[in-house]
Amino acid sequence: MAVTFTLNGQQRRYSGDPRTSLMDALRCDFRLTGTKDVCGEGFCGACLVHIDGVPKVSCLLPIGAVEGADVTTIEGVGDLGTLNPVQQAFEDFDVVQCGMCFPGMVMTLSHFLQDNPRPSRDEVKSALVGNICRCTGYERIIDAVMSLHNSAEGRK
Amino acid sequence: MNDLKETVVMNLPRRDARDKLQGRTKYTVDVGGLEMLHAALRRADVASAKIRHIDVRAALAMPGVHAIATAADAPGLHGLGIADHPIFAGETVRYHGEPIAAVAADTLTQARAAAAAIVVEYDDLPAVLTMADALAPDAALVHPDWRNYEILFEGGARGGNVAWQATVERGDTDAAFAREDVTIVENVYQVGRQNHVPFEPRAVTAAFEDGRYHIHTSTQAPWTVKHVTARVLGVPDSAVHVTVPAVGGGFGLKFDCSLEPYAAILARKTGRTVSQVNSRKEEMMTCLCRENADIRIRSAVTKDGDIVGREATVLMDCGAYGGEQVFLTTMTAHTLGGNYKLGSVRLCTKAVYTNTPPNGAFRACNGVYNTFALERHTDEICAAIGMDPVAFRRRNVVGDGDIGATGQVFRGNVLEPMLDQLTAKYPVERRSGTLPDGRLYGRATTVGTWFIFVGPSAATVNLNADGSATLVTAGVEIGSGTMMQSLPQIVAANLGIHPDKVIVKTADTDAAGRDLGVGGGRTTVSIGAASEAACAQVRDKLLGVVAELLQTSADKLVLSGGRVEIQGRPGSGTTIEKIVQQAETSIGPLSGSGAFTAPGERSMPGCAAGHFIDAIDIPVFAVHDCEVAVDPVTGHVEILSYRLVQDVGLALNPRAIHGQIQGGVVQGIGYALTEEITINSDGAFDQTGFETYRMPLAGDVLPIEFDLYEGAPSIGPLGTKGAGEVPILNVAAAIGCAVSNATGKSVNALPMTPPRVAALIDGKAPAPEMGHIDTVWVKNLVRS
Repeated sequence: MAVTFTLNGQQRRYSGDPRTSLMDALRCDFRLTGTKDVCGEGFCGACLVHIDGVPKVSCLLPIGAVEGADVTTIEGVGDLGTLNPVQQAFEDFDVVQCGMCFPGMVMTLSHFLQDNPRPSRDEVKSALVGNICRCTGYERIIDAVMSLHNSAEGRK
Repeated sequence: MNDLKETVVMNLPRRDARDKLQGRTKYTVDVGGLEMLHAALRRADVASAKIRHIDVRAALAMPGVHAIATAADAPGLHGLGIADHPIFAGETVRYHGEPIAAVAADTLTQARAAAAAIVVEYDDLPAVLTMADALAPDAALVHPDWRNYEILFEGGARGGNVAWQATVERGDTDAAFAREDVTIVENVYQVGRQNHVPFEPRAVTAAFEDGRYHIHTSTQAPWTVKHVTARVLGVPDSAVHVTVPAVGGGFGLKFDCSLEPYAAILARKTGRTVSQVNSRKEEMMTCLCRENADIRIRSAVTKDGDIVGREATVLMDCGAYGGEQVFLTTMTAHTLGGNYKLGSVRLCTKAVYTNTPPNGAFRACNGVYNTFALERHTDEICAAIGMDPVAFRRRNVVGDGDIGATGQVFRGNVLEPMLDQLTAKYPVERRSGTLPDGRLYGRATTVGTWFIFVGPSAATVNLNADGSATLVTAGVEIGSGTMMQSLPQIVAANLGIHPDKVIVKTADTDAAGRDLGVGGGRTTVSIGAASEAACAQVRDKLLGVVAELLQTSADKLVLSGGRVEIQGRPGSGTTIEKIVQQAETSIGPLSGSGAFTAPGERSMPGCAAGHFIDAIDIPVFAVHDCEVAVDPVTGHVEILSYRLVQDVGLALNPRAIHGQIQGGVVQGIGYALTEEITINSDGAFDQTGFETYRMPLAGDVLPIEFDLYEGAPSIGPLGTKGAGEVPILNVAAAIGCAVSNATGKSVNALPMTPPRVAALIDGKAPAPEMGHIDTVWVKNLVRS
């Protein structure tokens, strides 16, 4: 059974075992390696992708389950020349270290801020409950996110 | 030089952030595509056994399998100090997870299936799983033939299950403890292992090209990988070429050679490029953790607060092979034996073999738990003699002209003004109490001493015709940002250009000279100093060309803003581009090379035995202060505030240092409170994934308040010290002392998980059993 779905705006077809995890298919077959394989158990959030606009951990999801769905990976966020506001804030605040968790962080927070454009600091932390980072100690990531809130306030 | 300091300091952003944020960075784990073979290891599932029989025939015949390697393919032994470590278990398995064979196949699934199909028959041997077991009088030996190993570094006493012993003896502690006017305080401490959990596991791709091995790997130490791979394969170092892309986290784990030799052997056997990546479970279960340790420390202190005698024994579990722990026995002298003026001191540190997975280096290594033990012990001393803990520390911290444990003379008063800076900003109102919500309040202030692991580095700088410069070193970007920030800043300031015009070559042992590796806070210092020396050569050549061109003397010229000018006459000179072009017609392209190594600080002769470093070239100091609230029922510890002052020499990039402090302290919070590894009766870790190994989450942390202390003496370039390693140093110490103050109970063990703290409060957590460390110091010594 081939699986047909939209991947970063393009119609794609997967002919392998539909029980393969979406993460493995993305990384090994489609060679989209921005989706990171870290814990493989759904705890760390490094493999998050958007499925029909909603963040899902791709390591626990069989690719057969995305039949007909719209899948966006980190490579499909914005375009090469432009960072989205979350990515831009992370660059501006110099919060990136090893970088392995950031694709997942971007996927979580980009979606979260759509629904919560003016979150409190605690709300941002709660949103990150499924994203683990081993380098940064989180707080400067939160600072960067809160700056988006503040700049939104400033524009009003 | 002052001008240089003004131009070098800036919050330069990282040039690698954008690709990392867009998922475009290719880490080692991202380059193993379908064109490569994939490797998997067959690992032992017993802790101690003789291998009776290995049969690979059925596995070799399985679909997609190209080659299988075993001990016969790599007979060499490697190690630090002692060559005790084969890459494959041949006759003997010494730990659960030890590699026995490696398989290369078309797909990873095929490789794993074949690895599982290899027939291995064992005859079980007794296993020693704890240091207490390993040091028992009739303990089974992990290495019965330890006497026959090649010694790579002379001086350590060894014997039985003691892989290495380092001792310090300065002054007469017997006389100090016999004095009638002293209070004797004795404590024991026990700490568990900490897993680094780099998000990129250890990974490699290897090819055999033109008669040489090309290894592309996730490492902090490319020259170590080159040397160890060559050694175990029995080929010259020159036959191994190592390149390193962006590394997805290291924290010390990748300071050793790891998977590289297996992939190299399989590449040679198959003629194909081979990708090998640890699964997360393998990575968790064979992590070269921060070692578990057992500590006994006693001190003789006068009623005025002078420490006239100190004795301590530190046991470090090295697991089945000596590894980094052999080297790290050295560090007790500078950590547990650090911070304070000691009238006399005796220290014994032993790396102990057990049938458990080998340990390794982890950010501030044994300093983290030795500082925990020392600072908890210091607070016990203060309680025993009735002295304020900050006053005691102010009185006793090493200052200008004071001597350390090994007799090295320290320069500059650093810890005392740092303590004053912290307590002036955050005055201590109380150290214990009860909060309105019923939780127990505690506050503590601790000091810590760590060092910069200097040693050899080399750099080449090419000044290009477009006015850019290329820096070539074996430095690796592991995430800390040093290669992206401090090094281009140093080169740019020395050449009068903007850091954006400094190209930083990724690590390549065919292009760059020898380097000890990225770790120990050494990158900015050692590679930075080598880069400065290379820049000095370039600058001399450049100014020589200009001096001739402008008919002036070179010492009247200044380099800045991409131009060379006659001093005091802006606009008089010309651009660097023009000078480079001019130079090509006279002396050729402008390049320079530079080198750096440890200058070698002196200790007092005869004080230290078995030490790899008798005295530290660049000490680094830290003062940490923490407030906690402890739930008296659940034992949950909440950190209410965390503040610190860190000695940085010169802060090249304060914003990047902030990132290291926030990240390092949080890693320390995990170590102190939640990150626990338990070893079961099979000799395996119980914590095999993220569900059971509890790292800090966003909701567990708080913003760290910090001040940078600048101006302490340092031989680093422009007076810098490394800033990335030390933030973790006193975290467990500060939290441990604060929890003790909150609960009124002695915290003697880490991590302080809620059950452990609840038991402590209930009086059901006795001091750790420490019968395997004799209370009479001298009885702990191995003589060989």
